[in-house]
Amino acid sequence: MQRLLLCRLFTAFALAQQTVAPTNETVGPPRGLPFEGYNILQNFETGFRFYDVEGNLGKYRSDVNYRRGLRLLSSGLTINSREGKGKYFDEILLNTQGLGNDPYQAAILRVQKNKLYRYDLTWRTNDYYNPALTISNGQHFMNTRRQWQDQTLTLLPQSKYQFFAGYSRNSQSGPGLSTIQLFDSRGNEFQYFSDLRRQQNEIRIGGEVKVTSLKFLWQRGWEWFKDDPREYLGAPSTGNDPSNSTRLTSFNRAEPWRGENPSWRANLLSDGKQWWALNGRFSYVEGRRNFILDESAIGTARFGALANRQYLLFGTGRRPVLAANVTGSIFPTERLSISQHLAFHNTKMEGDASYREFNNSTLQFTNFNFNFLGVRAFTSTTDVNYRVTKQLGLFGGYQFTERLIRSIEQLSDEFSVDKVAAEQTNRLHTGLAGIRLQPVKPLQINLDGELGRADRPIYGLSERNFHSLGARVQFKHKSLLLSAQARNRYNFNSASLWSHSAKSRNYAANATWTPVERFSLDAGYAKIHLDTLTGLAYFANGDQVNNDRSRYVSNIHAIHVLARVMIAKKVDLSTGYTRNQDLGDGRPVAVPQNAPPGSIAGFLQAQTFPLHFASPQARISWHFHPKVRANFGYQYYTYQERFLAQQNYRANTGFVSLLWAF
Amino acid sequence: MFTWLVWGLLALPLAWGQPPQMPLPKGVTADAKGYVGSNACRTCHPDVNRDFFRNAHYKGQVSSCEGCHGPGQAHIEGRGDKTKIFAFSEKSPRQTLNRCLECHTQSISRANIRRSEHTQADVVCSSCHSIHKSTTPKFLLAKKQIDLCGNCHSQVRAQFSMPFKHRVNEGVMQCSDCHNPHGTDAPTWRMGQRPRLVAQAQGNEEACLKCHVEKRGPFVFEHTAVRVDGCETCHSPHGSMNARLLKRPVTFTLCLECHNGAGNFGRQGDGIAVQSPSHNMADPRYQNCTTCHVKIHGSNGDRLFRR
Repeated sequence: MQRLLLCRLFTAFALAQQTVAPTNETVGPPRGLPFEGYNILQNFETGFRFYDVEGNLGKYRSDVNYRRGLRLLSSGLTINSREGKGKYFDEILLNTQGLGNDPYQAAILRVQKNKLYRYDLTWRTNDYYNPALTISNGQHFMNTRRQWQDQTLTLLPQSKYQFFAGYSRNSQSGPGLSTIQLFDSRGNEFQYFSDLRRQQNEIRIGGEVKVTSLKFLWQRGWEWFKDDPREYLGAPSTGNDPSNSTRLTSFNRAEPWRGENPSWRANLLSDGKQWWALNGRFSYVEGRRNFILDESAIGTARFGALANRQYLLFGTGRRPVLAANVTGSIFPTERLSISQHLAFHNTKMEGDASYREFNNSTLQFTNFNFNFLGVRAFTSTTDVNYRVTKQLGLFGGYQFTERLIRSIEQLSDEFSVDKVAAEQTNRLHTGLAGIRLQPVKPLQINLDGELGRADRPIYGLSERNFHSLGARVQFKHKSLLLSAQARNRYNFNSASLWSHSAKSRNYAANATWTPVERFSLDAGYAKIHLDTLTGLAYFANGDQVNNDRSRYVSNIHAIHVLARVMIAKKVDLSTGYTRNQDLGDGRPVAVPQNAPPGSIAGFLQAQTFPLHFASPQARISWHFHPKVRANFGYQYYTYQERFLAQQNYRANTGFVSLLWAF
Repeated sequence: MFTWLVWGLLALPLAWGQPPQMPLPKGVTADAKGYVGSNACRTCHPDVNRDFFRNAHYKGQVSSCEGCHGPGQAHIEGRGDKTKIFAFSEKSPRQTLNRCLECHTQSISRANIRRSEHTQADVVCSSCHSIHKSTTPKFLLAKKQIDLCGNCHSQVRAQFSMPFKHRVNEGVMQCSDCHNPHGTDAPTWRMGQRPRLVAQAQGNEEACLKCHVEKRGPFVFEHTAVRVDGCETCHSPHGSMNARLLKRPVTFTLCLECHNGAGNFGRQGDGIAVQSPSHNMADPRYQNCTTCHVKIHGSNGDRLFRR
């Protein structure tokens, strides 16, 4: 029995593809300890992380971000009542990861008593560090911490009448850097400090009622958002362009906003004894956001004059969203399913703002802005699924969508109104067909294709004339799982003077094998190919360039191999290797040889991004005591790109830990 | 609101006295013929029985096994004949789905399971969930989510190993934070057809806005393409070679592919204007659009998204 359980855990954990992380092997009796009608399982893994980086530390922190220190790498606690009749609870489940200042920390908690209540908590923290060298000249920097928590209490969870209440919180805070352009459209760009303080809170209550085969669910929710960023210039700045004489000596901005989303949601679900099913959903969310902005900038303008500029802005944005869906399914025979899904949504966004600009303490102008953007869409989807024989199945579908987009853009001042109204209707027809084959029980083959036609797509990269073909093969026999898939997707969106095409081809294969208790293997390869060609028009060196093209080629080859072997009776070894390599369009260097200076070369050099990101890892675990394991993990990272060599790095990371379980 | 609360509280004692929702097949009572109880099952299946009290399906009832597998008497009399009991391994995907949905159909998260892409591909409950051998603390999954989903979606798993990615491998996020593998309603963005199996956020919006709330707005000046066609217009959410998960390695090519004067929607009427002549694209200064157009997701004060 114990061997079976160990084998089961062994198999599952060996497949876990993760970064240098807690040890997965179990110790101690997996049966747990009995205590007054309960069974208790508990484990802790405490250890020390270390790291060493050679190269760009900022890029390492952006990609990996494990640091040095003592950690509770993982812990788990489960308490279950043996008979399902505990006095106050029947189950407590607590799992944690990375507590003690890991960049990725998480905890889940569940407490429940059968038929009476269930309480769920999820808590997560992510330290986000991004020097963003390829964005805005690396000047949009973020070093923030995001935290989430979600709590739900359900009363009478196995009853015909259920009630629940929930609370969620999401916050992001920390320093950042951003940029602004001053004092006119040909001015200079300046970097400023930004203190991010974002927060969202949500409360929801609801209930469920089941009467015969009908179930009705309702939920009322309130969501509040707020942001209180403080933005300022730390010291006088000469800006990005030293040849530009614009200078900034002082910059301050306060930009608080408050938002709220009260919402209603109702669902009706029914299932008619396996020959029909029906569900409907109605949701209405009333979004609103009040804002104010006060910004002042003092410095020297482009032609040497002193500049003292202030912006004042206040107003409100609103976005009510109504959505309704109905899905009906019928199953005339054991082999046939027909589903019809109807969806409607109406989103209206409107906002008004009063905008004042003072130049050198004199009122320059006051603008009143009003904007409206409405999106209304109706979608009908029909799906048919038919199993001809045990070996052959067919499925197909048709979707029609009609979308109406309307906008009003109004800019006005005391003397004039500039108002533009626009309206557009888009339609999409999509057909889907596929076949499922199962010539023998372990082998499954799926083939499918999709063809779509849309008129007047909203923007140049949207899907217009598109099709895709896909195939998937899976072989599963005992502990061996082999799978392979391929998918091509082409989209052509052309107008009379302009065109866009995108071709993506993905191929992947995966193998998972656990032939014996002492060994398991997981390996895979994926090729992700994308090439796009898009017409461009722009200005370069004072001339308008038409009929240029943006060509982007990405050829990503990704492999992963993970193996676990029991090298001695009490010693497990896990090893793994992952590598992602983008070969781009095959060029050995970023800038093509003999590329003429000018616009096209600029695009060519930007449109391929050869790099590789590889990471071998190993973990050894010694089960030296019935309840304790000693572990050592090591992972190496190497990041190398041909564009910005200064972003390259190599890192050694790892941990030593003790896992204690009982 | 108050009325709902009162009705809820009034219904509480009624609900308290309800019989437990046992997973017995529909139309079968506990004393029906052919049922032998779980104690009989553990004679031959001790490995399943010994730890089943940890299972979410265990409610301290003697008929737990037969609630899903059907009456066991004929199975016992047939000396373990799999054809005499509901053995999931021997059933078609549709039969497996039907059996699980006898109890689990009536949930919001599974409302669209009959038409989901997974169901069409014969990926049903037992393909991902392991009732007896689950290795996850919740949801009875056969493996960790990233491994489970990655078995079929290998290219997505590869994207999570790219330099810039959402932190799924690191364990702080999971596939189901954004996706509902049981099926979803038509998206309220991108002509309602894609991406499939992406769960809508509370406000009927993209799942991205569950966390990135500051980008939600509403703004006075919305970036129309973002609002209408969604975040994937510019971003690759799983992983990218760009520090902001953009679809192109540098920003300006991504922007110019739409902002190129082609016919489109909005103020210009006949198309999004080509940049002004002052934007010399041969100058690196102008190749970082978001240096000036900082509030690219939407702005309250500037239709060009500069503040």
